[in-house]
Formats: sequence, C-alpha cells, structure tokens
Amino acid sequence: MAEEPDSVLQLPPSTAADGEGPTEVSPETATPEPPSSAAVSPGTEEPAGDTKKKIDVLLKAVGDTPIMKTKKWAVERTRTIQGLIDFIKKFLKLVASEQLFIYVNQSFAPSPDQEVGTLYECFGSDGKLVLHYCKSQAWG
Amino acid sequence: MCIFTGKFTPRRKEKTSCVNGIWRKLSSSMEEDEFFGEKTFQSFCAEFIKHSQQIGDGWEWRTSKDCSEGYMCKTHFQIKPGTQVSHPETSAHVQTCLPMEEALELPLDDFEVPETTTGSEVIKYEYHVLYSCSYQVPVLYFRASFLDGKPLALKDIWEGIHECYKTRLLQEPWDTITQQEHPILGQPFFVLHPCKTNEFMTPLLKNSRKINRSVNYITSWLSVVGPVVGLNLPLSYARTTSQDE
Repeated sequence: MAEEPDSVLQLPPSTAADGEGPTEVSPETATPEPPSSAAVSPGTEEPAGDTKKKIDVLLKAVGDTPIMKTKKWAVERTRTIQGLIDFIKKFLKLVASEQLFIYVNQSFAPSPDQEVGTLYECFGSDGKLVLHYCKSQAWG
Repeated sequence: MCIFTGKFTPRRKEKTSCVNGIWRKLSSSMEEDEFFGEKTFQSFCAEFIKHSQQIGDGWEWRTSKDCSEGYMCKTHFQIKPGTQVSHPETSAHVQTCLPMEEALELPLDDFEVPETTTGSEVIKYEYHVLYSCSYQVPVLYFRASFLDGKPLALKDIWEGIHECYKTRLLQEPWDTITQQEHPILGQPFFVLHPCKTNEFMTPLLKNSRKINRSVNYITSWLSVVGPVVGLNLPLSYARTTSQDE
C-alpha cells in the first residue's frame, strides 16, 4: 500500500480558487504552498486550543469516484463543506454536470454550510477527520 | 444485506434481491441498484422519527385514511424579512440554511410576529417523505405558504435554496423539481424527482455492505436531498445512521 507523505499539504484559501489553487500544488513534492494570509501549518505542532489550528482531513473515495493522489489535507476550521466540495471537484477536474457529495461516518451528508471544525469536534478521531466523497449525476 | 429482513444474504449462485419479502432473481444490470419495499421504508422512517423525537426535530408519521400507506412529515416556520423588519437580527436566518434549524426550537407562540411591522412575513414550510412504488425509493415532497394559506411559487422557494445548487437546478428545473399531486393528500406539492436517487445511494449502500455496517437509508438519503430544498438535518442524525451490530 502506498504511504502518504507525512507532511500535510495545505488547502489553498478559497479566494485562490479561480483556477490557481489546486493546479499549483504538487502532490509529489510534499512542500506546503505558502499562502498569502494564514500561517503555514504543519498541523500537529500547533498548541492545543489555538483557534487558528487547522484540521487534518483525510479524504477517501467511494464507489467509482477517482481517488485523489493526495488524501491528507490541512483545512481551516471555518472551511465549509461546500468549499471542500468545490475544491475536490476542481482537483479531480469534474465537469459541471457532475455532483460531488461528502459524507461523515460513510453515511451522512452534512449541509453545505457546515464547518469542518464542527465536524471534527463531532466525528474526528486520532487527530483527524475522515470524510468520504462520492461523485454522482444526481440531478438532471 | 436484505434490507427487508435485516439479514445478510447467503452466497447464492444467482444474484437475488428481496423486495417486499419476495425474492426475485436480478438481471446483471439490476444487481447494482438498491431497491426496497414499503415496509422497509416505514421501518427506516420509524428509526428516523425516533431520533427526531429525541432531539425535538419535529418529524411525525402520518397515515392515509385507510392506513395502508404512510409518510413522514415536518413543518417549520421561518420569518421572511420584508422591506421593514422590526427584528433585524432574525433577517440573517433567511440567508443561510443552517440557522433555519435554530428557528425550529421556538414554539410558534414564542415567535414574535410583529403585527404592525409591514413586510415581515412568516412562511410555513412543509416537507413530506413518501414512498414511490414506481421508483421504489423515497421521494421528497415540499411546499411553502404564508400563514393565510397563500402558497409560495417555486421562484420564491428558490431563494431558500443553497447557492451551490441554484446554478445546477436553474439550468434544468423541469428535470428536477416538478409540481405534482400529493398521493395521499391530493394537494399540489413540489417534488424532487427521484429518478436519480439510486445513482447516488447505490455507491453509499455498497460501501456500507463492504464495511459490514447497516445504514438508515432514509437518513442518508434525506441528508443529501434535503439541503437542495432548504431542509438541513442536524448532525446528530449522523451518529445514528450507521451502527455496528
């Protein structure tokens, strides 16, 4: 089984999602992209209780959905599910007609406005939040 | 797993499925689809409502006059700001989906419906979950009206739909949301079309079988389709969707 690189790649800020973000982050180098605003975070070394601490999110594919080369991401607490969906769709280069759904507990889709930080508090374990994603043409 | 009996199917040479307690052979194209019968639907709804009662989420079960069919329903009220709003802090509730749930915790009596303020209105949203015999999946019916009974048009309901769905749905609304007669009440409701339900439910259910975990179909399904029409399930339902047995 291929091992993921230990260092956690940083999810580009949502403002950089106009085509800049994911294509610039190379999974192979495992070097975090220095963001324009928030501090680069190795994730596990931040002091506990720091509200800016990012959440380690592990993304797993369900069904025939393409698997992301990089599965482990450091995500700001306030990133919404919808923001994460948009990011993964861009990363996987899905077409507009394809929907992407994210699930916690491999069974429940949180609302689009739900924040990753809240989900981590409810469903996180071992210092990370596992989210499953699945693409589908659910409508139309 | 046979969703009806709750038992895992023994290995069979032929792929079979149990629908309404009747085993039948599946053709290779059908074996990937997940179907369930009315009884299974009712059983998942019962589980769902049990949790709803625990957290005060307001879902109820209703039956048709002859009690042969039933459905799940929930009503909630939302204040829609008009041109003049006497309680500006509540206007934020309309813009995002999540705060709508907070409004549910207030009994109707506690709603400050200003009588003298112009423009501010209370809207009643109704969500019904019925079983479709033809598609053999649950279907979401919904409607919205003002307190005087005047119904909201679909274009007004669009405002409550999350931005992320608007583009997609507005492109082809006729494929997705239609107006139909409620099978039991006989009144017009908007319906989220069920033709693609299996498409997103099947991978989820297959995955749950793979990890040997049972899933409440209704909870999973509603968590996906609900937000499209402004209905968000509290996160606590997620804990009950899958239980290791």
